[in-house]
Amino acid sequence: MESFARAVRLLSQICGFVAAALIACGVVVVCEMVFVRFVLDENTIWQTDFVTYSLVAATFIGSPYVLLTRGHVNVDVLPHYLRARARFVLAIVATLVAMAFSFTMLVLAANYWHEAWAQRWLSNTMWRVRLWIPYASMPIGLGILSLQYVVDFLSLISGREAPFGIEKERPA
Amino acid sequence: MSPAMQGALVLVVTLIVLLSGTPVAFGLGMLSIVFIVIFQGFDALHVVGETFFAGLNDFTLVSIPMFVMMGAAIGSSPAGKDLYEALDRWLYRLPGGLAISNLGACAIFAALTGSSPACCAAIGKMGIPEMRRRGYPDDVATGSICAGGTLGILIPPSITFILYGIATETSIGRLFLAGVLPGLLLTALFMLWTLFIIWKRGFRSHAADFRYTWKQKFQSIPKIAPFIAIIVGVMYALYGGLATPSEAAGVGAALCVLMALIIYRMWKPKDWWAILRDTTRESVMILMIIAAAVLFGYMLTSLYLTQTLAQAIAEANVNRWVLMGMINLFLLVCGFFIPPAAIILMTSPILFPIITAAGFDPVWFGVIMTINMEIGLIHPPVGLNIYIVNSIAPDVPVTRVMWGTIPYVICMFLAIVILCIFPEIATWLPNHMMGAKH
Repeated sequence: MESFARAVRLLSQICGFVAAALIACGVVVVCEMVFVRFVLDENTIWQTDFVTYSLVAATFIGSPYVLLTRGHVNVDVLPHYLRARARFVLAIVATLVAMAFSFTMLVLAANYWHEAWAQRWLSNTMWRVRLWIPYASMPIGLGILSLQYVVDFLSLISGREAPFGIEKERPA
Repeated sequence: MSPAMQGALVLVVTLIVLLSGTPVAFGLGMLSIVFIVIFQGFDALHVVGETFFAGLNDFTLVSIPMFVMMGAAIGSSPAGKDLYEALDRWLYRLPGGLAISNLGACAIFAALTGSSPACCAAIGKMGIPEMRRRGYPDDVATGSICAGGTLGILIPPSITFILYGIATETSIGRLFLAGVLPGLLLTALFMLWTLFIIWKRGFRSHAADFRYTWKQKFQSIPKIAPFIAIIVGVMYALYGGLATPSEAAGVGAALCVLMALIIYRMWKPKDWWAILRDTTRESVMILMIIAAAVLFGYMLTSLYLTQTLAQAIAEANVNRWVLMGMINLFLLVCGFFIPPAAIILMTSPILFPIITAAGFDPVWFGVIMTINMEIGLIHPPVGLNIYIVNSIAPDVPVTRVMWGTIPYVICMFLAIVILCIFPEIATWLPNHMMGAKH
């Protein structure tokens, strides 16, 4: 179990680097696009699509990393005011809801990607991108997100991690 | 089940799921899927993957990570410290000058980063210890920083306005312009209150014989000026119609990173990673909520819940100002619990048809909504900025910080009232610079 958790955390960390690289690429390409359009006075073809798809991919692929670093915002008022036992139960419920979403979405996204791949969908923009390429980021990201949730859930029920990361017991 | 019953069920279950501590994006996503299955059957699920992807497949959204990167580059550098020092050197002669320069630094830093927590943390780290060292009361020192930090989402460029613009298809350029004068109004109100309370308690920031030389005053400017020039350049490109928000923000982000590298010598991979890591974490979090909110909006619309609610309110013939009061109250309560990005994305599609049917200007409403979100950031008991300030000054009891924020919350209510009486404060600048209609 420990080596599985370590492997998934490493994978999520790598996802963070990939997402950061995609965002950085996006910034560079936007600058290139502005240069081509405003300085060289030429038309741009691929840049808008590339930047948009890069950032969509960064969102899905970066999602497990953000989960790993507890960056997905939640409403943590109730957990802060609950006693340890109730907080633990609530953390299990919250993790299960999020896990259910990531698994369901993984299946739906994989179906959608498969349709795009099997039917050779192309974007209706000038670049005519094969859509299975950008769509692939969705099942990849959601798949690793699901694995990260499995690790989080196991860490929670085995007591390795405090519910909602709150260590202290609230004074009565 | 009637749409009204469905609406009530969706509302209650949404509140329960959000309060359970489930990440907002995944909670909203799961609710959307569950309600689509319950009310439309499993067949309707085939659109979910497409809708989720399409929610992000929009070039306008590119501006969000770009503006976040601009803020991260400035926030990761010592620019906040330099800005703070520069303003202190120029404003130290005023009674309560340090608190005033803190608020001024917050307003400018807000324009630079567009993020309230970043603004609060960056200026607060220098400002709070310095104010306390010079004998300012704890409630004024912490309260003014909490309040100043909120300006980040009102003074452009602001992520909140981008989200509102995308959710309601309102011009982002107009929204940015609409935030300028209310932002200055709010800064002025905060400063007036601070001056009043400092004057009442008889404080001076420096000893009466203390002087900064002109050389010291001018020394502080060169490091800050390039960042301010970039922001002004980005705004000029936006309003001059030279570039779209995404293009302007992209070039602005690259220039801010470049300036951080040149001016603060942030050459180490660790520094680069700090900028990219902060950008990735915040952008992914916001964009994931956007994708989920689009799915949630799709579910609400396909069940006719949005339309039913808007129609019911239109038929109720409620006085428009009573309606606006109720909407403000609703947003305020939401703001106590839910982060601004999530509130805007979840409620805008519902509120937008209601406020336009009642004859309110959507750009003006964007400003009102943002001030409500600002109140949520500092309103006890759960305002995010209160806890950021608490982490900077852990020996100041949270209750004391909360008492310090209350007068500034009142200033914000006052700003909303002023904007309701004089909506031109928000609408004049966009109408003047971009023409009268959208």
